[in-house]
This record gives sequence, structure tokens and C-alpha cells, in this order.
Amino acid sequence: MLDFTNATLDTNSLPKYEEVSLTALHHKYWNVVLINIAIFLLIIAAGLVTLLILSTGARTYIYIIVSIYLVFAVLLLFFYRLSVKKRGFALREKDIMYRNGIIASSTTIIPFSRIQHIALDEGLFSRIYGLGSLRIFTAGGASGSLHIPGIEIAHAKSIKELLMKQINEAR
Amino acid sequence: MESIIEDFSEPRKQSASGIVVLFANSFQKTVRAVALPLVFVVIKTKGTGHLGLILIAVFVSIALVLAVISYLRYRRFTFFLDEEKQEFIINEGIFNKTTLTIQLNKIQQVNINQSLIQQMIGVYSLDIDTAGSEKKEASIKAIDHETATLLKQKLLSRESDSIEETTASFDAEQSTTPIEAPVLKLSTNTLFKIGITSNYGASLLLISGFIFGALQLFKDYTDAFEIEREHISAAITKGFTFVSLCILLVFALIVILTTNIIRTFLKYFKFEMIRQKRSLAISSGLFTKHNTLLKPNKVQLSAFSQNYFQKKLNLLNMKIRQASFDEANTEESKKTDIEIPGCNIAERDEVLKMILGQVPEKGISLKPNYRFIFLQCMIKIVLPVALFIITGLIHQPYRAYFWVMIPYIPLVGTMLYFEFKRHRLYVNEQFIIKRSGIWDVEHEIIEPYKIQAITAKQYFWHKKADVGHLIVHTAAGILHFKYGNYTRIRQLVNYWTYQVECSEKDWM
Repeated sequence: MLDFTNATLDTNSLPKYEEVSLTALHHKYWNVVLINIAIFLLIIAAGLVTLLILSTGARTYIYIIVSIYLVFAVLLLFFYRLSVKKRGFALREKDIMYRNGIIASSTTIIPFSRIQHIALDEGLFSRIYGLGSLRIFTAGGASGSLHIPGIEIAHAKSIKELLMKQINEAR
Repeated sequence: MESIIEDFSEPRKQSASGIVVLFANSFQKTVRAVALPLVFVVIKTKGTGHLGLILIAVFVSIALVLAVISYLRYRRFTFFLDEEKQEFIINEGIFNKTTLTIQLNKIQQVNINQSLIQQMIGVYSLDIDTAGSEKKEASIKAIDHETATLLKQKLLSRESDSIEETTASFDAEQSTTPIEAPVLKLSTNTLFKIGITSNYGASLLLISGFIFGALQLFKDYTDAFEIEREHISAAITKGFTFVSLCILLVFALIVILTTNIIRTFLKYFKFEMIRQKRSLAISSGLFTKHNTLLKPNKVQLSAFSQNYFQKKLNLLNMKIRQASFDEANTEESKKTDIEIPGCNIAERDEVLKMILGQVPEKGISLKPNYRFIFLQCMIKIVLPVALFIITGLIHQPYRAYFWVMIPYIPLVGTMLYFEFKRHRLYVNEQFIIKRSGIWDVEHEIIEPYKIQAITAKQYFWHKKADVGHLIVHTAAGILHFKYGNYTRIRQLVNYWTYQVECSEKDWM
């Protein structure tokens, strides 16, 4: 209360989150996404093939099924590419922010003083490319937490350390 | 402090009558578990004789074993307060010893409850709610009221002492002189009013469930006795004249109101709110008495709501929400909601003043864009009506029901209009207030320094119109403001981040 004398505050002079330039996810992260999409598409393809083998009725629609599958695959790739491009994060002096979303672009800001704990995950495919994902939890539950994938593992570790330091200082 | 300091520092047992409570609880559980297999056994062994004897022997032996177990559990159960480490410790377990350690500053709520058995013996149970991702809940099953109250105060006052040390500035404004007179007390009259005016939805659900059950029963009955249903249903439809429909409606209304009133009385009988030092003690209940102690600075979100009838009666419903850590378990988070079913404006202001330090004023208001109503109209009016007309055009018989649209469109339209009109965000330096609702108009109040995270969201087709959404995450849930001016939302996000990051206050 002592140093809180903000009689007239010019809200326009405050640091603007929308002007912060974001760090894009690591370019190798796209490879990880590709692997995941490939696996997903393979599973669907396997399902379709068994369907075609078992049911003779379905075989008459083989061209339609294949073309739908291909369109679906292309769309999936296209939207994931767009989605990965749109994601980005930034660390400021006192908070961390993450932007994502193709249709709706949403930006979430978590002040360091509100972080409860941080987790650093290394998935199987991410590890091949030396990437990790940071998960930042607040008391706001699942909706108030962040999941930032595709950060170089060394970078992720240093961010985690920095955040941990900030949390301990804030307490 | 008083002379009770030593009292809890030594390990101590529950009241001796706790054996009875423990026994009764486990006996009840066992009987419930055993009853079905037992019935099975009885049917199987029909005619072998000695049945009564065997049954009695089984029950006696079960009771004996349970009595021994209850006694051992009672012997092993101890609790004490470690003043130095600021911990409350419970030891329990007959074969596997368990030590439950609760840090005092993690305690969220201490409740004193009384079940029917406990009421008969004259003891209470003390339940400790803790904050923390790992769920550790402690409960002392038999304790007399005096000790329980003392321990409760101890558990919570200790913690406020530690807060005092860390944030002295915050405490200064909170420390009002302790007043023992109840802040709020609900009379029978008020309870009656509450019963009449609130919770229509819940009761409606209850009753429709009941009616469906009854109908199913009726169907089974007619099936079983091979009564010609055609006959009866013909009679029913014939009887469905306008008058009987009206009578049915009136009857339903009476049933809803009665269930409402009964529920309100069961839950909120003798509702009382008393100020104790720096916390609020709330007690209520007709059969099972419920006591809750609430720390104002642990409150994350306070809300009050009012519908048209309640407005006429000067009646408000308040909800006070604390941090709920278990997001997945909604029932658990509901439990931390503290509800004040009825109060007038002056009482509301009194409670808010106690929780927030002052009566929050509505700041600058933010209105949603007209797009708010546009999309909703599309989804809830245009789309269903179009679908209905199309099906009607294809299938002849549906055309007879086209008249349904005549009441549907204006009804939904009015609801949407009110929803749009009431969707508001009020912001000033100390408070964020969101108003929403169609019938029950709710105001949710949060203090900016209790924000955990902020999200600003915009659909790409709203970019040109400068419209976007705002989501404020708190430890007790989210505030969602839709279709606001995005430039303004951005400013607010920057402003609140600034406020959170500057604030010295502890959010919990």
C-alpha cells in the first residue's frame, strides 16, 4: 500500500503486450509434428485398407475413399503448418506470454509471481530433435496454464531455471 | 494468547465416545456391503433350519470384530499441534501407521459438522480442508464442541499470525475489533422468501425426474397386468382438456415451490454468520449442522445474484468462492463455495466490506458488440427454424407443428436480448465486476491482484471490427467477457498485468 500511489495512470504508457515480438517455435518442431501426423494418417490408412479388404461393397467406392483421404491429409498438413507458424512465446521481465490459434488468435499472459510450478517434458520424437516442451501451471487450473512445445532443450532448461529463480524471489 | 496454548501441543485422543461413532460408521458400512450377499445366502439355505441362529451368530461376530477394530483405531488415533513447525499432525492406523502432517498455512477451511449418530452421542466431527494439489483431507470423528471450536480457532488463527508477519500492511486494514453479534441471520420469513424465489431450475429437474420415474412405473404396471394401454391412454388424451392442463400446471407449480421451500429449510435453517477475529463463521442446517470458518483474504471471487421477484422482495443471493485446486473434481470445488442464500442490500454490502475491505463500486463499463447477439441469433433461432421448415417441407406431418415457432422465436429472441443487455464488464482500480445472466442477474467481483493469468482472444474475421474476447483466470474460476472492443481489452490486459506485477499483496 505504501508505494501504491497511482492516482492518474496513463494506460497507454504501460508496456504493451501486443507489441512484443514473439519467439517462434524451433524450426525442427515441424518435423516432430510431421512424424505425429504421419503416424495418425498411417493408422487411418490401415483402418481403411482392412475395410476395403473385408467388405466388397466398399470397394466400389475406392476412388471416393482414397480422394477423401488425400484431401483430409492435405488439409491436416496445411492447418498444422499454419498453426505451428502462428505459435510463439515471449519472456518479459515479469511475465511469460504465449500466442496460438489459427481461427482465433489467443494470447495468454502469466505473471511470474503467479506460477505454481513448471514441468519440462521431452517426448519420444521431440528428443530425437533435441526439443522439449514447457508446461507452466498456475492456481487457475487447466484453463490458466500454458503448454509451450518445440523449444530447444537447452533453451527450455534455461527458461525453466530463470522462472524458478523468479518464483523463489517473488516468495 | 489464552491458556489453551499447551492444550494441543501434546498428542491427544478423541473423545472416548468416539469409539461409538467409529463403531457405528464401520458397522453401517459393513452391513451395507454384506446385506446383499447375506440375502443371497439366506435364499440359498432356505429350509436347512437354524437360520435365525446362524444369522445372529454372524451379526454378533461381525459386531465384535468391528468393536475391537474401533477400539484399536480409537487408541491409535492421536492428533497434536506443533507450534514451532506450524504443523498439525494426525497419527492413525492399526497395522499400518500413518502420519498426516498438515502445514497450517495450507489450511483452507475448518468445518465442524454433526451427523445423526454424532448428534445422539453429543459429539462433533472436525474436518480440515487443505489447499494443495495432492489431496490430503483430515478428519477427527469425535470431539466435543468446545474443544472443536478452540482447535478450529487455533488452526486458523495461527495461520493468520504468520500472515501478519509477512504482510503487515494488508492486515492493518483487516483488523477490525472483534464483534460477536451475528452479521447476518436468516429468519424463517426470509427462508420462506428464498424458497419461493430461487432454484427453479434444480427443482424442475428433480420433479421431471420424478415424473418420468412415475410414468415408467405406470408403463411397467400396465405391462405386468396386461391392461390394454390403448384404453387408458385414450382416456388420458380425452381428459387432456384445457382446464385439466391448467390444473396440472398449477399443481406442478405448487410441487416445485414446496420442494424448493423444504430444500431451503433443510439446508439453511438457522443460518448465521458471525465475525470472529479476522474470519467469518457460518453455521446452518436443520438435521445436519454445518459450520464453516472463512478467511476473507482467501476469498478469490465473490458474487451476488438477483432475479425479478427477488428484486421486488429486496433479496439477494451471494456466493463466495475460495481457491479450488482440484479442477477435475467439480463436486469438490462446489464444496468450497460458500453460499449466503438470502440477504438485503445493506447486509450484502456489510459482507462485501468484510471480504473486500470496502463496498466495490462499478467502474467504467464495457459493453459487448452487437455481434454478440448476431451469432447467438444465428445458432439459436435462424438455424433451428430453417431446419424445422426444411423437415416440414419434406415430411408432411411435421407441418402441423409449425405453430411452435410462433412462441419460440419471440421467447428465445427476448432471452438473447436480455443476455446481451446484461453482459457487462465494470472496471475500476480495485475491482473487476462482471454482470451477466438472463433471469438471475449475477455480478461477479474479483480484485485484480488475485488474477492468475489473462487471455485475450480474437477471431480473424473480427479483426477489422476490432472485436475480441477476454478471459480472466482466477484460482476460483474464470471471468469471460465476450465481444468487447479489442483495443480496450488490450489496454485492460496491459493494465491488469501491470497491477498484478506491481502488487505486493499475496493472492492467498
